[in-house]
Amino acid sequence: MYAYDTYDHAMVNARVAEFRDQVDRRMKGELTEEEFRPLRLMNGLYLQLHAYMLRVAIPYGTLSADQMRKLAHVARRYDKGYGHFTTRQNIQYNWPKLSETPDILQELADVEMHAIQTSGNCIRNVTTDQFAGAAADEVADPRPYAELIRQWSTFHPEFSFLPRKFKIAITGAAQDRAAVKWHDIGLVLKKNETGEIGFEVLAGGGMGRTPVIAKSMRDFLPVPDMLSYLEAMLRVYNEQGRRDNKYKARIKILIDAMGIEEYTRQVNAEWEKIRHVPIDVPEKEVARIKAFFAPPPLAVSADDVAEVTELANANFIFKAWLNNNAGAHKVPGHAHVTISLKPHGGIPGDASDAQMDLVADLADAYSQGEIRVSHEQNLILPHVAKKDLPALWAKLDEAGLGTANAGLLTDIIACPGLDYCALANTRSIPIAQSITERFDDLKRLMDIGPLKIKISGCINSCGHHHAGHIGILGVDRRGDENYQLLLGGSGAEDASKAAILGPGFNEVGIVDAVEKVVAVYLGEREDEESFLNAYRRLGPDVFKEAVYGTD
Amino acid sequence: MVLINLTGIQPTGYTLLADDAQPKEGENVAVSVERLLGENSSFFNTAGGVGAIITTGTAFSDLDRIADKLAFAVIEFPAFGDGRGFSLAVRLRKDFGFKGEIRATGPVIPDQALFLLRAGFDTVEVTTKRKQAFEAALSRFPGFYQSDFGGQTSIAHARHTVEGLGVEGHRKAS
Repeated sequence: MYAYDTYDHAMVNARVAEFRDQVDRRMKGELTEEEFRPLRLMNGLYLQLHAYMLRVAIPYGTLSADQMRKLAHVARRYDKGYGHFTTRQNIQYNWPKLSETPDILQELADVEMHAIQTSGNCIRNVTTDQFAGAAADEVADPRPYAELIRQWSTFHPEFSFLPRKFKIAITGAAQDRAAVKWHDIGLVLKKNETGEIGFEVLAGGGMGRTPVIAKSMRDFLPVPDMLSYLEAMLRVYNEQGRRDNKYKARIKILIDAMGIEEYTRQVNAEWEKIRHVPIDVPEKEVARIKAFFAPPPLAVSADDVAEVTELANANFIFKAWLNNNAGAHKVPGHAHVTISLKPHGGIPGDASDAQMDLVADLADAYSQGEIRVSHEQNLILPHVAKKDLPALWAKLDEAGLGTANAGLLTDIIACPGLDYCALANTRSIPIAQSITERFDDLKRLMDIGPLKIKISGCINSCGHHHAGHIGILGVDRRGDENYQLLLGGSGAEDASKAAILGPGFNEVGIVDAVEKVVAVYLGEREDEESFLNAYRRLGPDVFKEAVYGTD
Repeated sequence: MVLINLTGIQPTGYTLLADDAQPKEGENVAVSVERLLGENSSFFNTAGGVGAIITTGTAFSDLDRIADKLAFAVIEFPAFGDGRGFSLAVRLRKDFGFKGEIRATGPVIPDQALFLLRAGFDTVEVTTKRKQAFEAALSRFPGFYQSDFGGQTSIAHARHTVEGLGVEGHRKAS
């Protein structure tokens, strides 16, 4: 993991001091709320429906056990004993007191964390594959590049007041777990013919009210050119992105208007002018950062472990967890383990302080002290020896963290919705709870197989409904909460936009509709066909008939 | 209004020239980019120093024809969040090698002081009420991750030199 040096420490400490001064000025009335607003937003502090909300960055989703303990401490000391892990690998606290937020930020700074650029029209937390550095299918670990981008984008003199927020995602594996095609910029690490590492560069993806899948603009960008190329991409956007309408200000709209060819031409022209200016960091710096992400010292061992097989044969729930929540590690004899934050009937992405402390302890005991946060709102122990899986599972299960549903229908992404959010039209969390209660049967879930449900409580689509195999969008219909059903989206390498099936439903009707859609799939699927593949083959009509009748 | 001096440059005194007025001999005048694009060499020869009033809607390519004739530039921010002003300053320094004073006007906020300096601005016109906060903001951070037009080396580079950023950081605001 990356460790701060004196420069990094000085940076976050200076930021805390600055914010403390801003809060003081606000508390004394020297700043009006209007003047304070842009300042607090630059520190991830929102004013929500009931209280302030503080969004803390977990850069590229990587946490140490000690950092997780600090997150637990903040939840306990300054909040109501829980935190909410978000779809952008951040954590949100829903009940901080304004006067205490500088103290929270100082505590976080002490463990090398911050809330810098978790909101505002700037480059946000760079996200990546939650299995980075562990996944068996990885070309290269994307995190050193994510850290380089984190540093380059922090307090960037030119790109801190963009037309709109800006999100960059990187993946190092062919199987895209970071939804790179749904980002303003997506980077895909790959090897060229000579074995050199570089990036495919995609641009112009995004959700919101205008969902767009990113387009490829460069097949191979060598690693040393990464930052200067990003700088050229951001400069053209900063200059020409629309500023007259916040709903048309994202880069996807600019690229749609000028065309990806013209955007690419302008970026390339600018890049030619700057590529030799020392924006890109010295080679030694890349090496320094890479060294922090050296693979942990895991001993290669046999993939078949007798105790694991025996327990799996004796205990169906463990077998299900092993099947769904433990994935292939690049070092034989190991697995990466997804800790589901989606207990049936629970709130997707929430974790209590005690659960966070436990995960920290388990990371120390079983996963080299490392934890990851996924954009699917789960926690991951990236480096677990297979022989430790039974003990790990027992401890998780005892704490309510053993839900064996990773990747299944009840592993739902949901935004905070009207329970917290000032922008929401409808609640999201209760819909997720109702669906998980309706499908509370592990055997049935495993029979249904991989199925991603994503719920947003408004068109801003923080719940990624456009990318859901089944997407649910809450809208306000003459004062009533109404839920639209969308099918066929994907956030993976085969990214696609979900399409609305028909008229919306009330909060009970939407759960019935999901059940009917699943029933059609089970009836129509061929062999091992996944829900998404079946939908793509069948098209919407057969689902429409089942849900709305044939009249 | 007061002027915050970010770089220690000698700030330019100038007259904002009315639309139909001509500069007096040797007078420093500020004129819109649109007008400057239509002026001939006698205009530039008569005035002492010519400055461009640059709105954030200006395309940097429009500055190409006038940049080398400018003595100073005034970039007007219509709102503090209009970040095009930062790119315009960067373009002036980077694309046109502009060495004269770049001034920011408009409702920029104190917390942008270092961003302005680093993007290439020399001076900022601010309300008297904000003067103190602006000056305080200038000494907040010892260093940054980017090399910039204020003459700062990036932390990434400083890490690998003997001197680093030095004890007090790279620079002091004057």
